[in-house]
Amino acid sequence: MESKIGIIIGREFNERVKKKSFIITTLLTPLLMLALIFAPMLIAGYSEESTKSIVVVDDSNIIAQQLTNTDEISFEQTPLPLEIARTEYNDYYAILHIGRDIVNNPGDACLYTNGVAAMGTEQNIAAQLTLAVQKEKMKQHDIDWQVMQQLNTRIALQSAKNVQETETAESSSTVVASVLAYVLSFILYMFLLLYGVMVMQSVIEEKNNRVLEVLVSTVRPFDMMMGKILGVASVALLQIVIWIIFIGSIAYFVLPQVLPAELLAALEMMKQGVPAAAIEGGEQMGMLQAIMMLSNVKYIGGIIVWLLVFVFGGFLLYAAMFAAVGSAVDSPQDAQQLQTPIMLPIMLALFVMLTVINDPTSNVAFWFSMIPFTSPIVMMARIPYEIPLWEVCLSATLLYATFIAVVWGAGKIYRVGILMHGKKPNIKELLRWMRYK
Amino acid sequence: MDLLKIENITKRYSGHTALDDVSLSIPEGSIYGLLGPNGAGKTTLLRIINRIITPDTGRVLLGNKEITANDISHIGYMPEERGLYKKMKLGEQAVFFARIKGLSNKEATQRAKMWFGKFGIEDWWDKKVGDLSKGMAQKVQFIVTVLHEPKLLIFDEPFSGFDPINANLLKEEILALRDKGATIIFSTHNMSSVEELCDHITLIDKSHNILSGNVDEIRHSHGTNIFEINYRGEQQKLTEALTGLCTVIDTEDSPIGINKAKIHIATDSKVRSVIAAANESVELRSFSEVIPTMNDIFIRAVNHNL
Repeated sequence: MESKIGIIIGREFNERVKKKSFIITTLLTPLLMLALIFAPMLIAGYSEESTKSIVVVDDSNIIAQQLTNTDEISFEQTPLPLEIARTEYNDYYAILHIGRDIVNNPGDACLYTNGVAAMGTEQNIAAQLTLAVQKEKMKQHDIDWQVMQQLNTRIALQSAKNVQETETAESSSTVVASVLAYVLSFILYMFLLLYGVMVMQSVIEEKNNRVLEVLVSTVRPFDMMMGKILGVASVALLQIVIWIIFIGSIAYFVLPQVLPAELLAALEMMKQGVPAAAIEGGEQMGMLQAIMMLSNVKYIGGIIVWLLVFVFGGFLLYAAMFAAVGSAVDSPQDAQQLQTPIMLPIMLALFVMLTVINDPTSNVAFWFSMIPFTSPIVMMARIPYEIPLWEVCLSATLLYATFIAVVWGAGKIYRVGILMHGKKPNIKELLRWMRYK
Repeated sequence: MDLLKIENITKRYSGHTALDDVSLSIPEGSIYGLLGPNGAGKTTLLRIINRIITPDTGRVLLGNKEITANDISHIGYMPEERGLYKKMKLGEQAVFFARIKGLSNKEATQRAKMWFGKFGIEDWWDKKVGDLSKGMAQKVQFIVTVLHEPKLLIFDEPFSGFDPINANLLKEEILALRDKGATIIFSTHNMSSVEELCDHITLIDKSHNILSGNVDEIRHSHGTNIFEINYRGEQQKLTEALTGLCTVIDTEDSPIGINKAKIHIATDSKVRSVIAAANESVELRSFSEVIPTMNDIFIRAVNHNL
């Protein structure tokens, strides 16, 4: 005879995986995420903006000739006074008025736009004006422009873990770690909440259509509950694994085609041990570090393993509580009040996560990543920062131990709850049900 | 031999007693009707037999041993409020429930296909409960209940929601299952189905077992000594002849020549002399006792008029 819990897990799993909504969200979510990242880049790359013509009324007589035309903006000086120019050139994009005292008074300039003002254009003009005024001031103080340019320096600070064993220190990027921390803890948050509520609703449904009555006579209520939880958990894990494979293969196969060639060349150099400093450009430096970090199999692999461990453990813990609530009520509306205490730690963990990202080694971060009810989300926000392994292991152990205790209590509530109809119980009553024989 | 024995079961809920010291025994291979007005405690009793709920006192014996969780896979239970998944394909549901009750996947599929064929609903296999009417869903529910061929079948109000044609189909299947050796318990308000199907009944009212036994015995023992006479001849002659022997309750003359009379005979010993007197006066066609229907007995029992 097959194990009953196995049959139930199978049913829960098949039922959900075959649903159109599952297939759609599983495939679309990573695509959507990638689209959100790449769409702005593509739009910026493909949309050609028309050149904006700007008429310049320069009362200072020294700035206008230093403004240079770009793809975006073209300047055209006019000797007309401002009032006349403003009426005369109303078919131009804008009229720029530079005051007589611009060098000493940085506020003495105004852009009169005929249409909608564009922030990018304004910034561009402001930058050009600044540069022109700077040059003018240097001229007044007799400073050579060439010297000034040489003085201009930008430091690209690299960070690396101070690890003894590995010969070459692995380069790490705090930016990447914090992005990963956000993404991972949000994944945890979504899975705990969405799939947890899914378990609850499915229990309510079974209770309402009396399937439970047919099942309860043959299957132990505890097996029924665990079957459902594990069934839904395997759906959640499957979804995450599909996403990882999906995103991983896109990163592996598609990204090298899209990235600029010089970046790839620089990456190749870095991999061969050429010091990163040899590659110029501060911003590119950060990008390189990020790519190096994300392509570090040991680092990413570790994160994926822990992600699965914490999604599974956290889900089991919360799903057991959601199942208990579902068993006690007759409709999702009735569940509202009872599910609030379950949602609170999830919300709390989300807020704590925001501070953890700024300082992953703080006391708050440590304790909230140990307390089992907040630990899955908070720990996932800390793991990308490569915190000590014992902390992660301890947190996982506490989580799974708590799960066993909670599932025991939830099972007791479930056993009583599924056969109760009508009156909506409160939390006190739920706790009393735990003591029923 | 009794397959199932219920001994002194009491179940109290806060505020009321659902069952008060109820005992009954169900012979193997019988069709057993559980009758009673709404709220009498029938469903509670069925749930206790199924171990869905536990009684406060008393016990349930299956074949002289106290019933255990393992025995339950030999029971098929069809609850009154139907227990099917709304969004699962019907065929898959049938297979799922049969597997839960211990059949292998292959066997469950085979039997489910067989039953769907039997009921002429093969093309429902991929449909969902939401697409069906209540009566249609009930057919599937029935299949789910009997698929694992349990020794004991328990139906809670099996006929509610069925049209007469499907109700008959269901009756035939219930009889066929009995003939194959299953013992069947069902609760119902439908008295005609009781007379057609049940060998034994128990009448529960206000959480008490107020009447138990073989249907024929009950009906005969609750006879009220009323007889019906069919005859050819003059009504007056008959009534004159019967004066003093019995009371004539009702007479009815028919244009085709066969008249009827209903009489009450106070003591059984007078039956022979009544027949003799009637035979003398008119051409007697039939003489039979009017046996009360289960419906009459039910109403009288519940109104404490037995």
